[in-house]
Amino acid sequence: MDFVKALSKTLAVALLSFACSLAAESPAQDTVAKTPSDVAFSHVAVSIQGGEIYPWGDLMDAVENSLFVGMGLRYSYWENFDGILHFDYTYFKSRIKEVPYPGVHQAMGRLGLDWHGRLISPVMVGGGFICNWSRADEGDERDFDQPGGTLVDNETEFGYFVHLNVPFLKYERLRIGFDMLWEELWTLPERSNMLSAGFYAEWRLW
Amino acid sequence: MFTTSLHKMLASVCLAALPAFALIEPETEGMDAVTRDDGTFLVGSPTYVFDRENGAGGIHSESELWTPEKLRMRLLFNRLSETPSWTPHEPSLWLRTGNELGDMIYQDPLYSKEDRPSNRTPILEGGFRSSAFMGLWATARLFQVDHYSDESMRTRNVQVDGSFAWFGENWPMFSTAYGGLGYTGHGVEASVLAGEEYMWEFGESSRWIPVHYSPRVEARVDVQDLSLSLAYENAEYQNKRKSESGTRTEWNGSAYYRCGKLCKDGMLWFGAGVQFRTVEDEGTVYTGLEDDLVVWPFAQIRFAPVAQVTLDAMLGVNNRDWLLQDSIEYKTDPMPRLGLILGEKNVAGTRLNPIADTEEYFDGDTISLAADGSMQMHELYVRVEDSLSVFRLGARVAGWLEYGAETFDTTGFVEDKVLTYRYGDVGRIHEWIQGLSGEVWLGIDYGKMFSFTALGGYEHIWGPSREFEVSPVEYYAAFEGDWLLNGTFRIAHSLRYRSDARWNLRSQNPMVVKGDWYWDATFEQRFPKYGLFLTGTLLHVLSDDAIQAPNGSYDRLRFVCTVRKTF
Repeated sequence: MDFVKALSKTLAVALLSFACSLAAESPAQDTVAKTPSDVAFSHVAVSIQGGEIYPWGDLMDAVENSLFVGMGLRYSYWENFDGILHFDYTYFKSRIKEVPYPGVHQAMGRLGLDWHGRLISPVMVGGGFICNWSRADEGDERDFDQPGGTLVDNETEFGYFVHLNVPFLKYERLRIGFDMLWEELWTLPERSNMLSAGFYAEWRLW
Repeated sequence: MFTTSLHKMLASVCLAALPAFALIEPETEGMDAVTRDDGTFLVGSPTYVFDRENGAGGIHSESELWTPEKLRMRLLFNRLSETPSWTPHEPSLWLRTGNELGDMIYQDPLYSKEDRPSNRTPILEGGFRSSAFMGLWATARLFQVDHYSDESMRTRNVQVDGSFAWFGENWPMFSTAYGGLGYTGHGVEASVLAGEEYMWEFGESSRWIPVHYSPRVEARVDVQDLSLSLAYENAEYQNKRKSESGTRTEWNGSAYYRCGKLCKDGMLWFGAGVQFRTVEDEGTVYTGLEDDLVVWPFAQIRFAPVAQVTLDAMLGVNNRDWLLQDSIEYKTDPMPRLGLILGEKNVAGTRLNPIADTEEYFDGDTISLAADGSMQMHELYVRVEDSLSVFRLGARVAGWLEYGAETFDTTGFVEDKVLTYRYGDVGRIHEWIQGLSGEVWLGIDYGKMFSFTALGGYEHIWGPSREFEVSPVEYYAAFEGDWLLNGTFRIAHSLRYRSDARWNLRSQNPMVVKGDWYWDATFEQRFPKYGLFLTGTLLHVLSDDAIQAPNGSYDRLRFVCTVRKTF
């Protein structure tokens, strides 16, 4: 039920942020450039972000919700599209006693596109590819055959994400907003899904 | 300015290739076979591929045949391969990573050990080539492909000390690092690279042979119309299980002259060159080169008495072998926008690859890699393409005959865990083999923004197919599309089906590689103004996990991404 509560909170914050965002300005483009080549990198912003990740489905039995922190880069790509690059870190505590380590370090890299068309601006929706690297906090190769043992070595997996970005405060070059993200990793025997929600502060460099 | 012109050049090369295949990027150079199914393309590992295009003529694969264009390819046992490439990139900085999809991550503790899927393996690469300063530049590269490694891993890892790679513990089929200097200017392109390389080569015995090149040094010089190459290889061999070790010190290289400006507009063109290898073996090594030396001189000529007719011939001869490749081609446009090509080509010789070793030593058996006698292959082909507005419609048909085709006379098998090895010798099929092939295609091109091709092909071969190393694919269909949106976002996709292929000679019972659907897709953000390219590629999305070659490993769905910044 922790998850349901967390999800409820997330949705509530998302709705509140969305309402606030109506007062915020469009993030990346405030001029119309001539060609896609001119638009690319005509605006660049860096960000820091943090929030919580909620395992979905069977994964709820494997690991606990966890906090994440990270940083990001946003750049104009086309007139109504931004490119985004995120690097986040989190630490998942295991829920299963037999697992021979207390938790797993996870680094996450994401590359994608955000659309902020006139209809929804300044809200953005987007998606892209994700690459997660995981490694158990303890344990060695002798634990390989234990439950969760494959994580005692480096494990990397790819997947995709979609997200909703709702900026709700803008002050000069600073923008603060809410971000809700759904990801699916291409794991086996089943795909792994997680939801994350958090806040970010973004500083436009140019 | 250089970046812009380089980009234009690359773009024009890419666009020129659009109608043929979608621009899908495989794991590394030379692994194009993973993105092709217009014939028989079976991947056992990055270092062993059976690659035969529909209608190529003969039953051999392309990597078995020597041609002057392959002088700078790597010789992996008796095959020529672009992988692992020692060709310097254009000035740029790049990073590449990827993985076979299906690691468990947090699914792991939810399943018992018995239900775990086998391990998935990654690729990793990083490298740069600097801009030129006074013509001088530097380059370095570290790369390995761990894909196609896990099935044979437990048999291979006991043969070698340590992890036999630059990093990781997947015993990848190759792991390479090199660095060096180069010079570009005044009509000269020169480079010297030195590095260390771990490699698993696939023998005619079907065993994986570990080779540790330490060091490997390669120098290349292109001056006007002359190309020179020289490589030094200190190759260490080992079999820890049998307490065997040995060393091969090898020098190899080539000199190749092509008639350039002088012949460009004339009716006569010629080229000539020589390739050589000399080896010195100590201790236990697993192959042998007769006289420890091969010198392979060759000459080429092209004669075009009229604009529509071209005659090409290449002849190589030495004390052991000869190889002749020639063709005559007639090109015409009988109607506006209608192109027609009629041609005939021949390949004949004592050996498809005359620079390869002549013997393999396996388990007390000496496998002869050079068969007595000679082979000959003759092919007639017709290609026609019509274009109407944005549409292209084309077809090609070929018929061929081959006598003395190279094959393998198997005399026995031996099991090693999950792998099967064979005894015998390279031999010939003393019968005429006949083939008939055809392909039709329909294409749509909309400027640079969109290109789509649907094609289907068929080939039937008459002959003693159970004596072929591989009975090729009989039919295939493909749907290839490329989009370039706003000139800066590229999507390439390829959906293909190919029918069964069959390996006849590397196991007691023939191994059938079942027909399957494959879907590949590449997505690329381009920033031409900044020379930046962000690329993600999904390979083999729809197909079942399958082993495509004897003693190979599973071909799996995988994702590869690349960041490249050109200078």
